Amino acid sequence: MDMPVAKKKLGLKERYALMTRGLDWQTTYQPMDKVFPFAKYEGIKIHDWDKWEDPFRLTMDAYWKYQAEKEKKLYAIIDAFAQNNGHLGVTDARYVNTLKLFLNGISPLEYMAHRGFAHVGRAFPGVGTRVACLMQSLDEIRHSQTQIHSMSNYNKYYNGMHSFPKMLQRVWYMSVPRSFFDDAVTAGPFEFMIAVGFSFEYVLTNLLFVPFVSGAAYNGDMGAMTFGFSAQSDEARHMTLGLEVIKFVLEQDPDNLPIVQRWIDKWTWRGYRVLTLVAMMMDYMLPKRVMSWKEAWEVYFEQNGGALFKDLARYGIRPPKWLDQIEFDKDHISHQAWSTLYQYGGASNFHTWMPSDEEMDWLSAKYPNTFDKFYRPRFEHWRDEQKKGNRFYNMTLPMLCQTCQIPMIFTEPGDPTQTCYRESTHKGMKYHFCSDGCKEIFDHEPEKYKQSWLPVHQIYQGNCFNPGVDPTAEGFKPLPVVLDYYGVGFGRDNLDFEGSEDQKNFAAWRGAATTNV
Amino acid sequence: MSFALTIEPLGQMLTVEEGQTILEAALRAGIYLPHACCHGLCATCKVQVSDGEVDHGEASNFALMDYERDEGKCLACCAIPQSDVTIEADIEEEPDARNLPVHDYAGSVARIDNLTPTIKGVWLDLDRPMDFQAGQYINLRIPGESAPRAFSIASDPRDGSRIELNIRHVPGGRATTWVHQQLAQGERVQLSGPYGRFFVRESSHEAQQLSYLFLAGGSGLSSPRSMILDLLARGCTRQITLVNGAREAAELYHHDEFEALADAHPNFTYVPALSAEPEDSGWRGARGFVHDAAKAHFDNDFREHKAYLCGPPLMIDACITTLMQGRLFERDIYTEKFISAADAQQARSPLFKRI
Repeated sequence: MDMPVAKKKLGLKERYALMTRGLDWQTTYQPMDKVFPFAKYEGIKIHDWDKWEDPFRLTMDAYWKYQAEKEKKLYAIIDAFAQNNGHLGVTDARYVNTLKLFLNGISPLEYMAHRGFAHVGRAFPGVGTRVACLMQSLDEIRHSQTQIHSMSNYNKYYNGMHSFPKMLQRVWYMSVPRSFFDDAVTAGPFEFMIAVGFSFEYVLTNLLFVPFVSGAAYNGDMGAMTFGFSAQSDEARHMTLGLEVIKFVLEQDPDNLPIVQRWIDKWTWRGYRVLTLVAMMMDYMLPKRVMSWKEAWEVYFEQNGGALFKDLARYGIRPPKWLDQIEFDKDHISHQAWSTLYQYGGASNFHTWMPSDEEMDWLSAKYPNTFDKFYRPRFEHWRDEQKKGNRFYNMTLPMLCQTCQIPMIFTEPGDPTQTCYRESTHKGMKYHFCSDGCKEIFDHEPEKYKQSWLPVHQIYQGNCFNPGVDPTAEGFKPLPVVLDYYGVGFGRDNLDFEGSEDQKNFAAWRGAATTNV
Repeated sequence: MSFALTIEPLGQMLTVEEGQTILEAALRAGIYLPHACCHGLCATCKVQVSDGEVDHGEASNFALMDYERDEGKCLACCAIPQSDVTIEADIEEEPDARNLPVHDYAGSVARIDNLTPTIKGVWLDLDRPMDFQAGQYINLRIPGESAPRAFSIASDPRDGSRIELNIRHVPGGRATTWVHQQLAQGERVQLSGPYGRFFVRESSHEAQQLSYLFLAGGSGLSSPRSMILDLLARGCTRQITLVNGAREAAELYHHDEFEALADAHPNFTYVPALSAEPEDSGWRGARGFVHDAAKAHFDNDFREHKAYLCGPPLMIDACITTLMQGRLFERDIYTEKFISAADAQQARSPLFKRI
């Protein structure tokens, strides 16, 4: 008689391999290179896709079950927040402008990340990589949706959040985050993975999410804070995918090293430039501050990133280029950016203001070597002028950097009194840049970046007016028609916070909620 | 009180102290569990509790759902055992691990000799033989010390009744000073073992036709010696290379034995390297550090190997970098380095798991 033998249980790795590997086949009536047309042109050499080590072992059924319960929890909290008029519990209505920045500039990028991962997931010949990209693609569309839902409650009460997909495409400063992602999704699949999977999701993600999520927590916004916790349990998976990608690519062939190094240099710089908006948000827009931009950079990049690049050195990877300039600029960029958005407060889709005395003292304490010397006098001057009824609005259009599309507001490495200008000539045309980093990125791929859709150029070329507008008409004023095209209501969605509808409504509603008048 | 923690699929059993998390206990025992945030938010360390009770501590409701708690999942970084616990974790199975049980042993010192001016060889006769895997270590009780000290076994595992330890004198170290100045032939000793997950991955060498590379420095020669004696005695026919580093010729030990083994076994190569040998000493072998000698010997190409590293942290670090630049990566590199709870806390990137 046969004795029953207890079958040894499969380990998680074996189980996962049985469910996810060996799913594809060698094609016969079409060459594999035609089935995966983007897999080789970037020069990355992969010899053995089976060496890919699954960074997480998650199956679709487990994914749905887990995410469904997480989403249920999140929506219960969002509902409770909405029903309790949670928006009246935030520190003050200036806080809502950080949400406008996020909803207009970041949430649509989550959607672009969804598209990007879906696309590269299709493009990789390795099945393990494809499954990992599919999972992240699903995460990203969920993040986009849950962010929009978390913030939609504010749209009922506050201005400037009514047409974020259109604004991302049209409003001038939104071209900064949008062009970053357009650049990534139009790159090849390996570059996209280093750009978004590694550089953004691993190296820079904490600098984006911690300030917004902690900012929400510090300022009484439970809806946005809960979204953050819900997303964080996905971010860890994204980070391990980013790390696996870079290890896999570097281990496959020594020829991959210089290509990957160039991408790390490029995408760290590109990402850092986009984070200028976060720097400004942290130092100027949160009524209750979390930490300064400089402190965040030191903790999340210099310390954590330093440990990473020390380990990557074993593969021959060196830290990203231009770090010395970033190190110098961490004392400056948030002030330079806020000065710019303040001046162009007539052309944007949120409110700006000058910091109070107490806020200026906080800035002096956080930036002891630069704030009082370079920025406070300008801000005090603007505040005095505003008190006299001369709120300064800059009515000219700024020159933009061809690569990062930020106005040329940054200063020379080592000299905060000189604006930094760089230029290159390509096929007889001159292109302008804000920095050595942006110039070098252009010089390597001029045919790509010469196509940049620069909002200022587009306005001058007459491409930012609604149909029927006649710029040759007598007394033509461009600003109102451009704002019309943006979908921005002049004086309602923009200008100074002081005297805005948001400010008045919030005060009235909070008054109604806390008194019997 | 402490509880027993069994980690599947390894089958490894270890002790969790009161209030200690599963993650901390596993890392202290040298078992890497995937983890990242270390405070219950990211869910990287999620494991299945297949037996026993845990307290979920600070685990976030978004990282560990209610239905997962019902199914017996926990976050290892927060979970504190409330009874003996068995977990199933996402870790590699090791077909070559014998997962031998740990026991207490008593024995006596059969012989104690100077191997070099700073290293003593200590031969212990155990009252009953110990079954161990080449590369493992024992914990030796030191009189007057509450914590035992770990020493790798340097001898061939086929003789479990007489084990050899090679112990370097650490100036100011109480345990090694006791070994060097007081321990004498005939003295009774208490120890426990075998411990550790440093052993040769023979089945992978066979399946993928990989050669053996041992990099040893200082008194880190013990485990590689045991491994090499074991492999050669069992008739291993794959290429085996030992790069053994010391400061000067007087600090080389078991040198004649390895030269004799290299003569007797054409598949064994012995590369001794001296880093501070006087120029005029007549030494004709390699000069420099272990990683330099290895790089020169293999012409900077370590592919088709698995490497086993044993020695001081700086040597291990330099060797890993050299191996990786010679195209041998984490999956083929093994070290005897322990991951302590302090390592889990420090700002170290999660790029590498084991090395």
